[in-house]
Amino acid sequence: MSKPKVILVACGTAIATSTVVAKGIEEAMRDRGINVTTRQCKAAEIRSRLSGVDLVVSTTPVPDDLGVPVIQTLAFLTGIGKEDVLNQIEQLLRED
Amino acid sequence: MDAFLQSLKSFVDALGPTIMLPIIIFIVALVLGAKPGKAFRAGVTIGVAFIGINLVIGLMWTSLSDVAQAIVTNTGIQRDVVDVGWPSAAAIAFGSSVGLWVIPIAIAVNVVMLAARLTKTLNVDIWNFWHFAFIGSLVVAATGNLVYGLIAAAIAAALALFLADWTAKAVQHFYGLPGISIPHLTSAPIVPIAIAVDWVIDKIPGLRDIDLDTENIRKKWGVFGEPVVLGLIIGLVLGVIGYYNAEQPLVKILNTGMNLAAVMLLLPRMVQILMEGLIPVSEAAREFMQKRASDREIDIGLDSAILIGHPAAIASALVLVPIAILLSVILPGNRVILFADLAVIPFVVAMTAPLMRGNVLRMIIAGAVTLAIGFYIATAMAPLFTSAAVSSGFAIPEGAVQITSIADGFLWPPALFVGLVKVLGGILGLAVILLLLAVAMYFYKKHTTAWEIAAGAPKPESEASVTA
Repeated sequence: MSKPKVILVACGTAIATSTVVAKGIEEAMRDRGINVTTRQCKAAEIRSRLSGVDLVVSTTPVPDDLGVPVIQTLAFLTGIGKEDVLNQIEQLLRED
Repeated sequence: MDAFLQSLKSFVDALGPTIMLPIIIFIVALVLGAKPGKAFRAGVTIGVAFIGINLVIGLMWTSLSDVAQAIVTNTGIQRDVVDVGWPSAAAIAFGSSVGLWVIPIAIAVNVVMLAARLTKTLNVDIWNFWHFAFIGSLVVAATGNLVYGLIAAAIAAALALFLADWTAKAVQHFYGLPGISIPHLTSAPIVPIAIAVDWVIDKIPGLRDIDLDTENIRKKWGVFGEPVVLGLIIGLVLGVIGYYNAEQPLVKILNTGMNLAAVMLLLPRMVQILMEGLIPVSEAAREFMQKRASDREIDIGLDSAILIGHPAAIASALVLVPIAILLSVILPGNRVILFADLAVIPFVVAMTAPLMRGNVLRMIIAGAVTLAIGFYIATAMAPLFTSAAVSSGFAIPEGAVQITSIADGFLWPPALFVGLVKVLGGILGLAVILLLLAVAMYFYKKHTTAWEIAAGAPKPESEASVTA
């Protein structure tokens, strides 16, 4: 297996919604054959946690000048549009 | 029937939440259509999380009650109503005549209210049905009539569902807990008080501009603002006040500091595990509801323990410990000495965070007001609390004339029930409480958005955007 892609998952507390998103991404990407690891952090901590990160997924607004792709979404929480977001994540991870 | 209920009760009593919750979550997940394997794993994970949370709360409990006891000894105050803590209150409640019936009653109330669309909360937090039994057993102690106690417990269960519905949006948004609400009668009662306190603070120039939220503390004080360091410092200060004249003061002071630092770091990690276990259930619940009623949303009602990992709740509760002790000293007419339930304060203040936007200073003020009122509620209710305890076969601590606890002896719901039943008599008193609840639910239904914003829900905004 190739080196895992690192996804930084951010929410307000780094406790609850980021856990839902992180587990959702891990499960879905495993099914799609992509090797990922997730890290969780608070939205305010994103800048100091960026090193080695391939993609940021957040449930709250985050800066758009981070230098890595950012996906801001509530799809994992509402279930609406979750498939679209997963496809988008897969595409971004396969690109680089 | 009696024998069956008796054995059901003692079974639940003996198992406690770490076993009951996995079983209930497993069954609920299956009923909602989750795969058995996933449902099983979810249940076990939640049980593990509660064991973890209990471990950390136990650590906090020991450290806090030891240092609090030392502080009380140092200040040398005498009070004759002893705070025996919520585990004792829960034991009294489940051990009472009402406790025998509370589980089927509260489930029936929930099912009927869901069917009648009077609530959107499914309360799976069976362990915390003790709050309803507690109110019921106080009503029995006041009236000597078991039926009044059972009706009171049923109304209390309905009140908890109403408070959970009202605060659900606020809690879900602030704490980031989708599909969750908190029908917990230690945590929800502060919300009306907090709304009033927040309104008053907004009128006071200077005070209204102070923002002490932990996020700001972290930015301004760097490492000292980190939750773990904050816990250390508060622990050290409490340790100095409590142990400066003890044997080996330095050891005890440093230990208190490190233990409270550990609580600040570990509690959120435990809640993370809980969240992991909840995912299959909340997803199954969501799909179940979306399949059957496209416009119907159901929230899973859970223990407010899942909230208190938040830094704002922990920080304000830690600051409130010395404030509560100070209040117990200076309040005229108070007879309560705080002891075992100082560790329950995070449960009392957690639900002020959404409407106060995590502003620790405001949360401390709201908590102090609630506790200050609570000392008088507890002093007034202590005779009933004590007689309820005695009739449940509870041993009163030696040297204490009467007993109480912050949860829920300090709070207004038991005081409302007991007060009205005492003044108006059983039937009329309970009828008035039911009427008050119905009026509150009517206005909530009529002005749902305004009520939810008052409780701290965000103002309606546009849907999430996706940017690459």
